[in-house]
Amino acid sequence: MILCVLFTNRTGNVLLERFHGLPAEERLHWRSFLVKLTTENLKTARDDEVFVASHKSVFIVYTVIGDICIFAVGKEVYDELALMEVLNAVTASVKEVCRKDPSERLFLEKYGKVCLCLDEIISQGALEHTDKDRIRRLTRLKPLAE
Amino acid sequence: MAQEPGASLMDLITSDPAPSGNPTFPPLGKSERPSKNVPPRKSNVQMTPELLSSIKTSVPVKTSLGLPKQKKKPVSYSHLARSLQELSASADQKTAAKQLVHQVFPKLAVYSSVDPSLAPSLLALHQSSEDRSVLRYVYYFLARLLAESGAQGVTPGGGLPTPNWDALADLNLAGGTVVTRAEVVPQIITQLTAEARNAEPLLHPRRIAALKALSFAPTTSNDVLSTLYEIVFGILDKVADAGKLRRKKGMFGRQSVDKESALRSNLQYAALSTLRRLPLDSGNPAFLHRAVQGIACADPVGVRHALSVVAELATKDLTAVAMAVAKLSLAGGSLQEVLQIHDVLARVYLARLCYILSRARVLDERPEVKSQFTTILYQLLLDPSERVCFEAISCVLGKFDASESLEDRANGWVLLTTAILKFPEPPSQPAKDASGGAGKDGATKEGIPPRGPKDRQAPRPRRPQPLIKLVMRRLESALRSSSRPVLHGAVRIVQELGKSRASAVAIRGYTVDDIVQQDDMVNPTADINKGDDEAGDSESGHRRTVSMSVAGKESIAGMLASLIEGVRTTTACECVYVRAAAIKALIWMQSPYEPVEELKAIITGELADPGWPAALLNDIMLTLHARFKATPEMAVILLDISRLFATKVPGKIDSDVLQLLWKTCLVGSGADGKHNALEAVTVVLDLPPPQPLQMVGGRATDRADPKSAIALQRLVQAAVWFLGENANYAAGEYAWESATSPSTALMMLDGDKMVAAASSRNPTLAGAITRLQRCAISGSWEVRIIAAQALVTVAIRSGEPYRIQIYEFLHTLAQGRTREKVIGAEATNGEDQGASGTGLSSIIAPMLRVLDEMYKGQDQFVKDMRQHDNAKQEWTDDDLKRLYDTHERLLDLVSLYCFVPRSKYLPLGPTSAKLINLYRNEHRIDANAGYNDPAVATGISDLLDGARVGRGVEYPPVNMDTGDEGNVTSEWGNNQPGVERVNAFMKGGGTDAPGDDSSEEEETRPSVSYDDMWAKTLLDGSDSSEDEGGSSGSSSPDSAASSRHGSTRFAGGLFTGGHASRREDEHKTHRHSSVTSGMRDMSTKSESPKTSGRKFATSARNDSMNSDSTTRDSPRMSVDAGSDDRQEPQFGKALYDFTAGGDEELNLTAGEELEIEYEVDGWFSVRKKRPGRDGKIQGLVPVLYVSY
Repeated sequence: MILCVLFTNRTGNVLLERFHGLPAEERLHWRSFLVKLTTENLKTARDDEVFVASHKSVFIVYTVIGDICIFAVGKEVYDELALMEVLNAVTASVKEVCRKDPSERLFLEKYGKVCLCLDEIISQGALEHTDKDRIRRLTRLKPLAE
Repeated sequence: MAQEPGASLMDLITSDPAPSGNPTFPPLGKSERPSKNVPPRKSNVQMTPELLSSIKTSVPVKTSLGLPKQKKKPVSYSHLARSLQELSASADQKTAAKQLVHQVFPKLAVYSSVDPSLAPSLLALHQSSEDRSVLRYVYYFLARLLAESGAQGVTPGGGLPTPNWDALADLNLAGGTVVTRAEVVPQIITQLTAEARNAEPLLHPRRIAALKALSFAPTTSNDVLSTLYEIVFGILDKVADAGKLRRKKGMFGRQSVDKESALRSNLQYAALSTLRRLPLDSGNPAFLHRAVQGIACADPVGVRHALSVVAELATKDLTAVAMAVAKLSLAGGSLQEVLQIHDVLARVYLARLCYILSRARVLDERPEVKSQFTTILYQLLLDPSERVCFEAISCVLGKFDASESLEDRANGWVLLTTAILKFPEPPSQPAKDASGGAGKDGATKEGIPPRGPKDRQAPRPRRPQPLIKLVMRRLESALRSSSRPVLHGAVRIVQELGKSRASAVAIRGYTVDDIVQQDDMVNPTADINKGDDEAGDSESGHRRTVSMSVAGKESIAGMLASLIEGVRTTTACECVYVRAAAIKALIWMQSPYEPVEELKAIITGELADPGWPAALLNDIMLTLHARFKATPEMAVILLDISRLFATKVPGKIDSDVLQLLWKTCLVGSGADGKHNALEAVTVVLDLPPPQPLQMVGGRATDRADPKSAIALQRLVQAAVWFLGENANYAAGEYAWESATSPSTALMMLDGDKMVAAASSRNPTLAGAITRLQRCAISGSWEVRIIAAQALVTVAIRSGEPYRIQIYEFLHTLAQGRTREKVIGAEATNGEDQGASGTGLSSIIAPMLRVLDEMYKGQDQFVKDMRQHDNAKQEWTDDDLKRLYDTHERLLDLVSLYCFVPRSKYLPLGPTSAKLINLYRNEHRIDANAGYNDPAVATGISDLLDGARVGRGVEYPPVNMDTGDEGNVTSEWGNNQPGVERVNAFMKGGGTDAPGDDSSEEEETRPSVSYDDMWAKTLLDGSDSSEDEGGSSGSSSPDSAASSRHGSTRFAGGLFTGGHASRREDEHKTHRHSSVTSGMRDMSTKSESPKTSGRKFATSARNDSMNSDSTTRDSPRMSVDAGSDDRQEPQFGKALYDFTAGGDEELNLTAGEELEIEYEVDGWFSVRKKRPGRDGKIQGLVPVLYVSY
């Protein structure tokens, strides 16, 4: 299950988050844990450099594009490599929506579209679509194949 | 740290171009964008009502969409809600849609939940709007509304807290009505259901979106569930056999997709996607049928969902799934086609499904089908995606989920090392090279008709390849990757490789490997059988030998060595998580027969890095546990590694886990390894004591991290205590097992010769005593106390000459001469060591008195014996009574210091046994019950259960592991967190949130065990002695009571004094509470752990005990009344999986409920509630594996 997808800016402010199957009381811990990873690793990270972490049987994969750090947390079938698929889908869609590596402002401007993309990529804790063209079509309510 | 979630989102809410004088809310939108070089502004603004109102009033009204200037742009939740309400009713749909899509919906998405008061507007838009963007947002919000209604207010999405009170208030003022979630959800479901049933082809995108949103509805409602099933099966009935997309030639020769087939494909995808989210209906053939049909879906994501459902179904109803998939597979080969699908997770689920089906017994009669599944699984090893390849490797290795058995894992290793992949005959088209031609779309796997370029030459048929060779190449290639997740994944797979190999070694008797027979051409089915046959040979006792690379042929050992080298290089990765995974992999790949220095060097190097999080270090410790469980013969190696953690990062590791490792390794190392195991534990003692501040040039310099120093000291204390408690077990030396008197000749030797004689008789015990002696002299004060207590424990439990050796040592120590005599040169750590030089005189005094009493008693007994022999007198009843009184008094005394089996322990020497038994028999005294001393009755003896007398099992192999009730609260009880952590780790669980570092330190650094053990016991003991107004330490230990009181004043007897007095208090106040609960409150004295199994009474013994109890005083009766309770069957729970090693033994699965019948030599005879897979319901299991 994909437990969490989190977007923060480089200073650690949470911009967007989606939790699945995590008790509310644990979310704060996860948030803190992820943001701490940001402060430790991402300040000097290159764009699209993918990082990995783990906690017990939970995997964390994260990256930074522009001013936005994106984290994916998963377990079971969503190990570090499956989470890379998730992350690739998310970053591709965010880049497409923002048309470039997003600044924080640009990301916020496109906030609604990003939410729709995320809704197509992750559905109830499971990866749904990874192809950005399919995601684009679905966010515009167009048929997948026509 | 995370600030207020969504603090920066204020920008979005206040997205109007702000006046220049308002720097907090800069303009947003196209007007002016910040340069990329400008660092992002810190937005830690808290959204307060005041701020919101100021925003409302201060933000100008201009919009970027050219809307009327008078109209305010929504900046607050109430504004957004109001705008949504207005725009949903607007006649100008086009303008309204623009506003909604650009202004309202994105801002509403910021909030953490969707307020039900928005639902009417959303439903109105759903009905009236034709704008696809608006509708998409509407479905998004409706789905969120439904999801939130099912989660009892738990919102899946984060963001700003939704101030629904604000919206409600404003809407009410405007004449709106308050709507609740319970009211709107049925309306939403009704509306979405109607749309999801709409079969109009042109509206099918909306139908799909509606179905998706509807699937978020709470499925706890049967109505919703049945509606969803109805819709999904309704769609699948029509389109499940859609097949592939049909293409047709369009204008200008361009191909286009046939609309009808596209429509069917889209609908099938949507239905399968919904089906996956619905609860699995494993008994429903229609469910299975549609899911299996979905494997042939034209949409790759649909295929993935179908495979996911089928793979999950296969774990529940293997037969039905096997037959259904086999039918499909034979008919059209759909599974082979999945290999070409551009969807990684689809292929992952394919690997899982093929693994499950390839092991299905139901397909034994259809080898061609089974081999097809196996072939596909093997082909997935060549998949271009690491995720798929690693999944296939895991499956081959028998790692499917956390529930696989050791047998599965062992079979996995056998399969990996023996199977050979015979590539399927390529069809007429040329096949791409597997290693080089792995295309992104995954359509270029072996044996798959490629869509590949035509300019390639037809490849020659590929030679069959040993599976292990393919796997090793792939892993080595992954280990050279620059991607951290790939590295992490690869080393995890190496770990799994090591686990399977360890299982094969443990179960099958494999040592390492054989030469791979590269020239054999064996089909996969035959390979599986081959593996099984070989496994059978191995079970019959054949043990394979290690063979290294031989003349041109590559051995498994050689390949493994190369792989391990790859993993070692991975430890250079800058990511600490990858390094941790690599170390775990190395621990699993470590052979018990190979030197461990290299691994130790790597770990030592890593531990020098202060950046390692404590959680990761403890994970590695847990890996050591798991490795020990898989390969007990590695106990010493693992202890050696654990020593690195104990010494280098004592402040970061979990002492519970470390101590549990010590215990399990000591028990598991077998008779031969006990000495080494004990030595490995006690190497901790060789560490220099924590150095306090040292003065260098007039300045204080901190030599070490104070926390680490304290933690190290605690570990040393633990090791000393452990040594004292377990030395006798490890050495196999117990005073009560000796049938002969102490050798007089030996006793006559002088000190040095006695030590030499002791060393030659039992080097393990002699070594332990020597170490304890050193600790009693040179350790810190806390360590010295424990060492003295450990020594007296060993003295009481050991026969001669060890007892006299310790007696002499303690005597010298008490007089303060030993320090100079023994070490002299040790540097002082600056503590005041008292007049004796060790500060232990007053602590040792009561210990010496106990030993004095024992020796005096023995002397007196020898005299009496001679007197009777010389006078040829029979022992009268009075003589026997005197003897028995002395025996009991001494027994009570020693019981205050450590556990000894009352029925067997003979403080007056083995020759007293006959006379003591004579007296007992004549007076029908229960050997285990002790005398009727109330202090003893309320103190120690109620730890003992009379039932154990007749069974001859009265002392535990390792006191800590015995788990008697008293022990539950002491060492074992304190180790319960450790046990739980190990179990959780073994099960692969643990998804709880990571704690903060600060809290982590609080949890792990102070040892719970030793806090309890030392702080509570020592301090409480002192307090209780004062409360009681006990006599001073110099009082004569003529009676048990006086000895007890005397001992409470000093550390030497602190345990027992505090223990006994607390017991008395508890006894008075909690007389009616259960024995168990009473024991749980007992102190952590070291003797308490030793009463393993005593509670497992046979009813016969209890009967006799109860009949005796009627003649005793009231406290005794109370205790016996407590023992009545113990007639009830004892229940326990399996802590770990256990594989039976013989007919008498019983397989266990962790967590299994057990009824414990009795204990024999560290084994419990247990009865399961229901027979296991092997049909056995009752048998022996190690005590260590059962918690009760």
